[in-house]
Amino acid sequence: MLETKDLTKRFKSKTAVNQLNLYLEKGESVGLLGPNGAGKSTTISMIATLLPPSSGKVRFNNEDAWKNPQGLRQVLGVVPQEIALYEELSAYENMKFFGKVYGLKGKQLESRIEEVLELIGLTERKKDAVKTYSGGMKRRINIGVTLLHEPEILIMDEPTVGIDPQSRNYILDMIRELNRSRGITVLYTSHYMEEVEKLCDRVYIMDHGEIIASGTNDELKSILSNEETIHITVQTHSLSFEEKLSQLPAVTQASEEEQGYKVIASKGENLLEDIFELSRQTQTKITGVSLQTPSLEDVFLHLTGRTLRD
Amino acid sequence: MWTVFKLQWIRLFKQPTLLITFLGMTLVFVYFMAGAQGEQTITVPTFSETLSQEEQSDWLDRLNEEETFEFIESDYETVYEDIRMNERAFALGLEEDRYQFLIGREDMEISTLIQYVNQIYSEEQRLEQVRQDFGTENIDVSNYIQVETTGRTEAASSNEIYRMAVVVGMSLYFSVYSILYLMTNLVEEKQTGTWQRLIFSPLTKTRIYTGQLLHYMLAGILQIFLALLILHYLVGIEFGTNYMEMSVLIICFVFAIVSLGMLLMGLVGSPQQLQVVIPIVATSMAMLGGAFWPLEVVSNQILLFLAELMPIKYGIQGMMGAVLQDRSLSQLLEPIGALVLMGIIFMGIGINLMERVSENQSI
Ligand SMILES: Nc1ncnc2c1ncn2[C@@H]1O[C@H](COP(=O)(O)OP(=O)(O)OP(=O)(O)O)[C@@H](O)[C@H]1O
Ligand SMILES: [Mg+2]
Repeated sequence: MLETKDLTKRFKSKTAVNQLNLYLEKGESVGLLGPNGAGKSTTISMIATLLPPSSGKVRFNNEDAWKNPQGLRQVLGVVPQEIALYEELSAYENMKFFGKVYGLKGKQLESRIEEVLELIGLTERKKDAVKTYSGGMKRRINIGVTLLHEPEILIMDEPTVGIDPQSRNYILDMIRELNRSRGITVLYTSHYMEEVEKLCDRVYIMDHGEIIASGTNDELKSILSNEETIHITVQTHSLSFEEKLSQLPAVTQASEEEQGYKVIASKGENLLEDIFELSRQTQTKITGVSLQTPSLEDVFLHLTGRTLRD
Repeated sequence: MWTVFKLQWIRLFKQPTLLITFLGMTLVFVYFMAGAQGEQTITVPTFSETLSQEEQSDWLDRLNEEETFEFIESDYETVYEDIRMNERAFALGLEEDRYQFLIGREDMEISTLIQYVNQIYSEEQRLEQVRQDFGTENIDVSNYIQVETTGRTEAASSNEIYRMAVVVGMSLYFSVYSILYLMTNLVEEKQTGTWQRLIFSPLTKTRIYTGQLLHYMLAGILQIFLALLILHYLVGIEFGTNYMEMSVLIICFVFAIVSLGMLLMGLVGSPQQLQVVIPIVATSMAMLGGAFWPLEVVSNQILLFLAELMPIKYGIQGMMGAVLQDRSLSQLLEPIGALVLMGIIFMGIGINLMERVSENQSI
């Protein structure tokens, strides 16, 4: 129902988004995963007809969304990455204003405001100025304002950035609820892979303005199906151990962790033996070894050689 | 559009400090620059070499019928000494059928004073003529004979001109401040993202801009009207009856300033920079445009040319014309046209710049 075709955005010399293709089917929940500066916000802005693309198309129901943006705008809800509210006004006043902007009025507007306040759990604080809210509450009202006009497509740009786990779970549950029981299509942007893994049916992984992998959680992880992740705990880190580790033929990636090293390697080889041999050579005392099923984080690491957050 | 317009008013009423501050500043500045001087009557010492004490005091009564000047009795030696010591600027010598002035230094008021005294003298002389012709002493001839004189109200005194220039200049100057500072909101909204929220919505850009700009215009107009109303009712400044002309001028002026604001918002991207740029723009425009001192005292050709480009110059010029010279709309076409033209040009460039900036603005 919503798709992009070779979507590109150039800022002066920098290409923030390059030839990006993605699509959303009705009722789907799709994740857009990528590190800082990957181009997620830029992509979303172009899809939401805020930022004109340098080239490429956004199609909504097979029509060019940039030619006639009003149709898409009416059914779209965008939650910006920052708190985009009049902070000196109350939650209620903000909702009333943005509701009216979408053409809601009178009784209908009031009852929608009540419903959404209930949903985001802010009914009791609705009369207070937004600037007096806690971080988590601000995030909730930032989402709430977007829900007033009952959008069919909800685009969220890192809606849980910088808040406590409790508020985060509240928000995630809420989004899942909106997606599952009300059939709202969700495009969810994040650099937290756990969120995307939990929430989304399908995931696009983005880096340097390009999509480097896409598919369902399982499909993505199967990229790593012939690889495994091994965590090695050591008493003290040793540079020569790490260096030798990454030189082993089976190892595709070795990186330092808090307690030791994380190794991604091809399956089925006699890796563990080699590791213990190395530890003897470099006199690094291994205190533990564990094998782990891969996560999206590992997929990203595998594809880019970097972690999502550094 | 009206939703956006209304919201900005709600926000303004929540935080009206800005508008109130600049309104207050207008009053304070007018009071110090013009009010104190306007309240004061100017004292004119008089002396006489030929008139008796009684005759001199008769003249004083006649001269003191109007309140602009206060004529007091003195004698030649005293005033001569005072003028020599530079303690007084001038004195008036009263004689039977003529008068003389002792002038120590040039003063703004002298021409008005001379005009006034001359008028009274010629009035008295004609009345005297009539009395003699009819040979009667007891009839108050002025009841029968209208003496044609030029009223003071028609030709405004330099004091009045100065006072009105300050009143108009300051009211406009501080409204520029308010309007430009309020308009910083446009840039702020783009930073906080509420602007983007509006763009995502089905509202068209034209409507969002119109709603916002109408608000700034009305806020500016409101401030100028409040300033003038307060000055009229509390300080007693007379603005005449050209309400329509004044309103048109104020509206055109505010339009030009809102457009100038758009240009600034397009040129200067961040609210922090605007905090610095706005006072510079407002003040230099006021200086060049003649809000602080009359343009008549400027002789530098470059400065005079720059003045032509300042909207505030036409605002002041037009308002002064409407208030003091009783000009009608058709006689005020030049300042009105200049303001509207500037407004359109600034607005055109401003919106284009703003939109070029927002081509690179994501959420
Ligand atoms: N207006 C702009 N002018 C120039 N470069 C820009 C502009 N906006 C974004 N960029 C650049 O484009 C790239 C992508 O930015 P974008 O905000 O889309 O990343 P993101 O994936 O949303 O990152 P984050 O997770 O930090 O929000 C960045 O390198 C950024 O510096
Ligand atoms: Mg972003």
